[in-house]
This record gives sequence, structure tokens and C-alpha cells, in this order.
Amino acid sequence: MELSTLLQQLVNGLTVGGIYALIALGYTMVYGILKLINFAHGDLAVLGAFIGLTVLGGQLGGGAPPAAWLVALAFIAAVLVVSLAGVALEFTAYRPLRHAHRLSAVVSALGASMFFENGMMLIWSPQTRVFPSHILPDITWHLGGVVLTFTQVLIVFSSLLLMLALYLYVNHTRFGTAIRAAAIDQDAARLMGINVNRVIISVFILGPALGAIGGLFIGIYYREAIFNMGWLYGLNAFIAAIIGGIGNIPGAMLGGLLLGLFNSLAAGYISSSWQEAITFGLLILILLVRPTGILGERVAEKV
Amino acid sequence: MMIKRILAVIAVSILGVGAAFGAEIVKFGVQAPITGNYANEGQGIEKAVRLLAKQQNAKGGLLGHKIEVVVCDDEGKATQGALCARRLVNDGVFAVIGTYTSGAASAAQPIYARANVIQTSDGTAEMLTRRGYKTFFRNAPPNSAEAKFTAHYLVKIKHYSRIAVLSDHSSFSKGLGDATEAAVKRDGGHVIYRGYITAGSQNFMSVLTKIKSLKPDVIYFSGYYSDGGLLRAQQARLGIKAVFVGGDANQNTEFAKIAGSAARGTVIVNVPAPANLPYAEAKAFLADYKAAYGTAPPSIFTLTNADGMRAIMYAVEKTKSLNPDKVEDFLHHLRDFRGITGPLGFNKHGERLGSAFQAFEIQADGSYKTLYSE
Repeated sequence: MELSTLLQQLVNGLTVGGIYALIALGYTMVYGILKLINFAHGDLAVLGAFIGLTVLGGQLGGGAPPAAWLVALAFIAAVLVVSLAGVALEFTAYRPLRHAHRLSAVVSALGASMFFENGMMLIWSPQTRVFPSHILPDITWHLGGVVLTFTQVLIVFSSLLLMLALYLYVNHTRFGTAIRAAAIDQDAARLMGINVNRVIISVFILGPALGAIGGLFIGIYYREAIFNMGWLYGLNAFIAAIIGGIGNIPGAMLGGLLLGLFNSLAAGYISSSWQEAITFGLLILILLVRPTGILGERVAEKV
Repeated sequence: MMIKRILAVIAVSILGVGAAFGAEIVKFGVQAPITGNYANEGQGIEKAVRLLAKQQNAKGGLLGHKIEVVVCDDEGKATQGALCARRLVNDGVFAVIGTYTSGAASAAQPIYARANVIQTSDGTAEMLTRRGYKTFFRNAPPNSAEAKFTAHYLVKIKHYSRIAVLSDHSSFSKGLGDATEAAVKRDGGHVIYRGYITAGSQNFMSVLTKIKSLKPDVIYFSGYYSDGGLLRAQQARLGIKAVFVGGDANQNTEFAKIAGSAARGTVIVNVPAPANLPYAEAKAFLADYKAAYGTAPPSIFTLTNADGMRAIMYAVEKTKSLNPDKVEDFLHHLRDFRGITGPLGFNKHGERLGSAFQAFEIQADGSYKTLYSE
């Protein structure tokens, strides 16, 4: 197999991996602090894509590229609306059940997922919605047979940057320390004067905000969004979070990037028919060999 | 006097029809993907059926019965398809129009057959007409016919020597891909790659990168438009020069929207697209559809399903009966009915007779230009 083909597969994998990682962070943070798999998280990411589409709308199918400020506005609107939705989700679906049986919260999460999915279907129609073309500068680099687009580079770099920022925030700020403390023991954290509710709300702002950016990247990269794609991306991001060690922020990043690369190489070198089966095979293998995930030594004690 | 009246009642009951019972209704079911990845197609089918029912009701109904339309959304999925079939049967439908995907149509087949509910579908998978259900009528030509035409076009007309064949895992797409691969080989062509994508997964860059390394002349895709449009866009992004040829399910107005500027030059193999149909029935239907809904139908499958319903209504009127057995028997011997999509008939397996394929190319404005026809 030629080197350029391998490099191209790595580029493909990193791009998708970056998106998976952004969405996986939301799963891992919520799990870290509430021990809850937020099944509605994938749908929140899709909501981000639709908010962005609405802001960018009206220029469907080519025409002049939208102005830079409009693209920025699309990202800002997506982040704001989805963070609000995340907080609303916490207030209505999870907070009332915080001391209930863990299964109740999981059922509530599934219900919330359906709520978001159907809500988006009602607002943005059940059909595939197409994004305008040329949202980002239409630059393509050909590096010795490897094709690299501006969009891909932007996705990879901004994902890495956002993940790094989150990592630094959680590990090197006062509020980040509060988040980590609440993740270890909520009652003890409360006794130390930490406002645990505020910490939880902040997690439901940060996670969905990153998910919204991931969702909007999906829309820009593939140029389409459909109301029910949250399940697919949610599942992949969930697997990424588990591979990396759920509850662990660097783990979610690593898991996302690894899953993207692995998917890409599996489709390219083994079989595209078995792509999903191979992904699940990897998940099972990791759970067998290292049940806490690659970086998850003290599972669920980190955020 | 009394006896006369009783006899009259019996006579009317035996005939089962008559203006006296005009207030009764006859239910037509629509089983189609109203939501999900193929929503565009399903909504087209629903709109066509509602339009035909409205027109028929304006003419006094079907044998004096008012037509009522009952819709069930199967999302294009087999499991949902079976659930829809049970629901529509319980609703007491006389016939069902749809569904779009072969998988959902085949899951529904046995349920309709057991209830003796007539079913007409554009599903093109071979097995749909091979299971011996007398209730099933296919209103679009089968995979094998399309595969034969496609292979002839690729190998004998265009002389492509390196052909990559891609499908998704649905029974329709896999069947069409396999049939095309076999037909290409029969015609002496060279299939250098046979692979699959997962419908709806959006990320096809890896498969395309692999295909790029094999330097194909043509990429043939036997799946649906929602994936086809993205494949075409991602092919262009990777700078793969090969011609993109899509099977019939790529004929949908959404394909060009999804593929964007990459759509131009895409070749699609199908029976003629709605706008290219030469028949008076087609022009009338398209005008009515446009007047009712403000848009053109999304694809030819809106029209084939409309033809399925028209054929059933025609059979009911000719046999003057709402007895499914009589109607089925009539349809199995139908020849040269004036359909929207051309002369239409069914053989004893419910296979559609009489329709010719074309290869057409998407132009810059999204219209289709015929390159080659049978």
C-alpha cells in the first residue's frame, strides 16, 4: 500500500476523531460528576449543527461564501443555545432524579434524547438539511498525493485547542479544582464550601458547548444534518469516552482521536463492510483487557 | 312487496356496490418513510396518494366509495415496515401503496398477504416478486433489469475498464450491486473493487481513499441518494477523477443539493426522470402535483407509486369489485395500462412489465440530460 494512501487515511481519521473527541468530552464530564451516561448528549451536538445551519441559512447551494462574522455568529449562537439546552436538561431531567435509583436517571436520559430528536424533527423537518457550501475558505492542499482541506485542518486544530483549554481549566483554576473535588465526593465537597449545584451546572454548560462545536463541525464538514444523526455520533463519542476511560478528560480526547484513526484504517485496510463490527470489537477488547479504559485508572474519580 | 324489497336488498348486497352505498369509505394505506434518511421519498409518495385520492373522490369516489388515506411511517426500516403492515391491516385497508425501500417492503409482504391486502411497491430487490405472494405488485423494474442495462452502458458503450462497485448493506442496494457486478463480468468488464458503506454514516473518506489508490475509471454506487450525494462530494474533495455512476435510488432532487458543486457530471441510471417523461399522463400528473404542493415530485418513485395506485383503482373499476381476489387476478393479467411512467402491466409474479432504462447526467442547473437510452 502506498504511503500517500496511508497518510490520507490518517488525515481522514484525525478529522473525524477530533469531532468524536469534542463530543466525547461532554459524556465524560457528566459521567465524572454524576455517574450518569447522558444519552441526550449526541442530540445536543446535533442541535448545535441545526442552530448553526439556521444562522448560516438562506445561502443554500453555493453563492458567495458567508461573511466571516456570520460564521463566527453561527458558532456563538450554537454554543449559547446548546449550553442553555444543557442546563435546562439538567434542571428538568436529571436534578429531580439525583437521589433516585441510577436506572431512573438513565431512563430519563433516553427520554430526553427522544425529546430532543423529535423536537428537532418538528422544527427542522424530518429531511436531510443541507448546509451552504463554502462556509469556510475553499482551500485545498495537495501534498504528494495527500489531499488536505482547510476545513480538515481547522477541525483538527480547533478541537485540539479546545480540549487543551478545557484540560487546563479543569486542572489549573479554582473552579476546575471545585469540579474535580465534586467529582470525587459531592458531600465532602459541599462540606468544604463548594456549591455543588453550580459545579454541576457548569459541567452541563461546558460539555454541551463543546458538543455544539463538534456538531457544527459535522455540518460544515459533511454539509448536511439530519435530526436523527445524534444517535450515531453519540454512540461513537460514547465508545470513545469508554476507550479512553470514562470520567477522564485526557482519556476522552485520546479515545476520540484513536477511534477516528482506528475507524479510518479499518475501513481502508481491512473492510469497509465490517467497519462498525470492528469498532465494537475494539471496544469489547479494551473492556476485556482494561475495563477502566486506557487512561482510566481511578475510574470516575476524575472529571 | 316485502319479498321484493328483501330480494332487492340481497341483490344490492351481492353486488356489494351501488350508488345507494355511496357514503361508505374504502381505505388506501400508505406505508412509506415519512421521517428518517429517505423522508423526502416517503413524503413524495404520501403526497401523490393523497392527490390521487382527492381527484378520485372529486369524481365521485371509487365505485361510489369515498377513498380515505391512512399513512404509516416505516422510516425505510424493515422492523418498522412489519409494524406498519400490522397497523394498516388492523385499520382495515383495502390496498397499500409503498414502501420505498425493499427491506421494509419485504418485511411487510407476508402480513399483507395473510390479510389479503393488495400491496404495490417500488422496491426493486429481486426476491420481492419471487416469494409467490399474489398480493404483491412491483411498480418499478427489478434490479436484474437495471443491472443488465448498467453493465451494458459501462462496458459496451463507455468502455470503462476499471470499475469500482459500492453498495450499502440494504437488501436493495446489496442486491443491485451484486447483480451489476455479475452483469459487468458477463459483459467482459473488470470490477477492481467491491465494497460497502454504512448508510447514513456520513464519513466515506476512508473507503474512497482506498478506492482512489486503485485508480478506477468509474465508481458505481448502488445505494440511496442521501449517501450518494455525500459520496460524490467526498470523491471530489479527495480529487478522484473517476466518473460517478449512481443506481436508480440516486434519482432524487436532493442528490444534487447534498453533492453541491460536485453534482455536475454525475451519471444516474434509472427509468426516465419525471421531467423527461414524454407521456400525456405524466404531464398532467406533474402539473396537478405542482399545483397542489408547489414543488415537483422528488423523484420518479413518487410517480411509480402513483402508477401503482392508479392501476389498482383501474382494476377495481374494471372488475366493478372491491374483492381483493378479483382485483389481484385482473392486475396479474393487466397489459399496457396507460401509466404516468409509461405503458404498465404485471406478470403472474406481480413483476412490472414495460419500462426502459436511461443513463442521464446531472447538469449544472440540476436538470438531467439523457446520455443513453435502451
